[in-house]
Amino acid sequence: MLGVRARAAPLALAGLPRLPWLWAAGGVVALLASAAVGVLVGPVHISPGTVLQALIGGSVDPGQANILWSLRFPRVVLGAIVGGTLAIAGAAYQGVFRNPLADPYLLGAAAGANLGATFAVTFAPGASLIGVNVVPMAAFVGAGAAVAGAYALGRTVSGLRSTTGLILAGVAIAAFFNSIETYIQQTHPASIRESYSWILGRLVTAGWDGVVLVLPYVVLSAAVIFLHRRLLDALMVGEDEVTSLGISVRRVRLIVVIAATLGTAAVVAIGGTIAFVGIIIPHTIRLLVNRSYRVVIPLSLLFGASFLILADTAARTVVAPAELPIGVITAFVGAPFFIAVLRSTRAAAL
Amino acid sequence: MSHVVLSGVCVAYDGVTVVSGLDLDVASGEWLSLIGPNGAGKTSLLRAIARLVPFDGEVRIGEDPSSALGARELARRVAVLHQEPQIPPGMTVSQYVLLGRSPHLGYFGRETGRDRRVVSEVLRRLSLEGLASRPVEHLSGGERQRAAIARALAQQAPVLLIDEPTTSLDVGRQQEVLELIDAIRLEQGLTVIAAMHELTLAGQYSSRLALLVAGRLVAVGPPKEILREPVISQHYGAQVKVIDLNGSGTAVVPVRA
Amino acid sequence: MRKHHPRASAKLACLAALLVALSCGGSSPTASSSPAAHFPVTVTAPDGTSVTVEHQPHRIVSLSATGTEMLFAIGAGAQVVAVDDTSNYPANAPITKLSAFQPNLEAIAGYTPDLVVASDDIGGLVHGMQAINVPILIEPAAKTVDDSYSQIKQLGTVTGHQTEADALVAKMRSQIKAFVALVGHPSRQLKVYHELDNTYYSATSATFIGQMYALLGVSNIADSATGGAPDYPQLSAEFIVSSNPDLIVLADTKCCNQNLTTVASRPGWGVISAVKSGQVVNVDDDIASRWGPRLIDFLQAIAPHVQQLEKQAA
Repeated sequence: MLGVRARAAPLALAGLPRLPWLWAAGGVVALLASAAVGVLVGPVHISPGTVLQALIGGSVDPGQANILWSLRFPRVVLGAIVGGTLAIAGAAYQGVFRNPLADPYLLGAAAGANLGATFAVTFAPGASLIGVNVVPMAAFVGAGAAVAGAYALGRTVSGLRSTTGLILAGVAIAAFFNSIETYIQQTHPASIRESYSWILGRLVTAGWDGVVLVLPYVVLSAAVIFLHRRLLDALMVGEDEVTSLGISVRRVRLIVVIAATLGTAAVVAIGGTIAFVGIIIPHTIRLLVNRSYRVVIPLSLLFGASFLILADTAARTVVAPAELPIGVITAFVGAPFFIAVLRSTRAAAL
Repeated sequence: MSHVVLSGVCVAYDGVTVVSGLDLDVASGEWLSLIGPNGAGKTSLLRAIARLVPFDGEVRIGEDPSSALGARELARRVAVLHQEPQIPPGMTVSQYVLLGRSPHLGYFGRETGRDRRVVSEVLRRLSLEGLASRPVEHLSGGERQRAAIARALAQQAPVLLIDEPTTSLDVGRQQEVLELIDAIRLEQGLTVIAAMHELTLAGQYSSRLALLVAGRLVAVGPPKEILREPVISQHYGAQVKVIDLNGSGTAVVPVRA
Repeated sequence: MRKHHPRASAKLACLAALLVALSCGGSSPTASSSPAAHFPVTVTAPDGTSVTVEHQPHRIVSLSATGTEMLFAIGAGAQVVAVDDTSNYPANAPITKLSAFQPNLEAIAGYTPDLVVASDDIGGLVHGMQAINVPILIEPAAKTVDDSYSQIKQLGTVTGHQTEADALVAKMRSQIKAFVALVGHPSRQLKVYHELDNTYYSATSATFIGQMYALLGVSNIADSATGGAPDYPQLSAEFIVSSNPDLIVLADTKCCNQNLTTVASRPGWGVISAVKSGQVVNVDDDIASRWGPRLIDFLQAIAPHVQQLEKQAA
């Protein structure tokens, strides 16, 4: 093989992106701290000592133990799973679409999940299949169907040569699904509140069953996205350039979209279509730490999880004992925070 | 093994033929420049060789038709220096050059010490070591072009395709870049196929020129044979004077009637 | 649908018989109008606008499910030509595809109505009806039982069924009084959780349905939701479980198919006293969300449970 011959040269190469240990440690600390806040704060006051006792298996008042183990702990774990998954799925979508405004719902996953959930809420209320409530199932199927539909449509329109065709197909699918959803809601006002409440997002009813239900999907999704960190970095150069580096952009895009959609569909199925996490978390990390996906993906997982645990804690305490939809919190807190980050680092262009 | 043979290559976009029935042999270690007026099909031909566009006919890289090579195998044999590389925001020079190792890695593979050594060596050869940690977007035009060359060299491919390497560079940087490519070509026996706009420079650096007009090969040969006043006037529709520079090539100078 | 209680008192049985009589009478429309009907009449709708009806209406369109129930209960059913797609009671109401949420003015006008009854002015409904000179009466969601009574009376006035309307109101008053007397004075404060759907939306005592619990002397756990919380707050599961309500009323049996089994299977809910003792009442979503004559049916479903709980407490 001709070319540059490798001679003895220093192994350490300056300027390669590495996960900064300080940020990684900070992410772990943030996750633990927000989990601590999540389990300590709630509409029912339970002392930190009791929470600790419950966690280490000590003797605790059965009523409080029930609240902690059946309701609060699974909800914190669910918050971490949903937040982490949405954040890395968002980062992955931004990577393969090379579009800073991409989010996990770009190809219609949210519209599909909402339509599926609305269908189930309206036509099969309270039904379950093999012991699992049909609403999350329908949402999962809806999200997957929407993205598959967008892909199929995008292929017929542009042959997947450009991402624009695919994105427009996603927009069209989302609009189409939204119109059906609105029609169903308008013609079945009895279930409108339930489907609306689902759309705004909630981590309310799932419990440990929800955790068990989504875990296989989110683990698989996260693993595949993690394995694509190098390729997502490569996709930051022009499409022709990537191709001439021997990387099939279409294949990477398809695999990453499938993986990200799998995780997104699973978490929206149990958490509703929580907005904003998939955009603000990865972008904040890009602006504050590094734009390499070797940094963005792991830190998005940690900070996305922390962010959603805190958002959910706020959702169940701000107007306690009532709850706010978590999507309201993520957008209300997330948007100004994101603007602040943008303004303070205006040198870095999107 | 690094010669390139084109036979009957046709490229068409939406039914409009831009390269038709082109045959061309490029010898191993040669620098062949594609010249011709705008829209002659120079870039399209390069894209066909790099398999960035669908085409009819056959392109052989060494002994193998390119259609028989996998994407990574092709990228291990042919590196491309694109006309306007897209600069990824925030990416450092070493990370950028490390992307050139992609063809040598499996789909889920990660770079090893060997890959970093290759990059380190390339950076040293192109005097980019001092800039390794700088974001590419902060470099000057000439430095960016050097970083792009470094990335292509990190591919360790025997064939280098270059599309208008000197656009938007000043004359000093143009010379610098071309000298660098030529030096490396000679060191490593690279086969260089370049689309060139600037005829004087094309003549000075190429062993042969291939003149394309409207997608057809009009003439191939050493610069002296191709860069003649009647040929240029006829195909470029330009008033030029060709001046012999006494051993350092020929200058093609536009003249005003 | 309602739970059967073998130890229901004689007093209750008596009451039930009375109520059946009432609801039967209420749901069958009387073709004739009151002889004492004098038109034109002018009424002041709850929003303050005055509505004049020139002649006794015979082509009423109702876009309000509660309005439909009221009209039929006061014997004006025969004058109703069309009701909206949510007006599913009584069964002989002329249900159509007319939507109260997206009212189609042309479709409404197509019935050549001489009176339109609705609960909300959506999509320029009032303006549109005025433009074609059709009197329209907006009877919005009642906030109190008295609001409900005055709506019934008002509908009596504009349809020429004043007498029947007055009689219905009087009957309802006495029924409610009977229920209140039945449950007596609780020795211990009983707590209720009223569920609107399976995402735990509930209703405070500021709402119409919430006041029914106040009437029966039961405290509503949703009332703790203060501050920015709305009248229909979404409660957190933690709060519901820790409030440990004695009675759970499911007004999401139709929308969401909820029942004692589904409630008991929710994580952490098994320990709630209402769940342990089976005091989970299924009510018809529609009855629990309307402010018409069937509120008596609602009370009839709830009162025996309250009475039983009180007995246990005593």
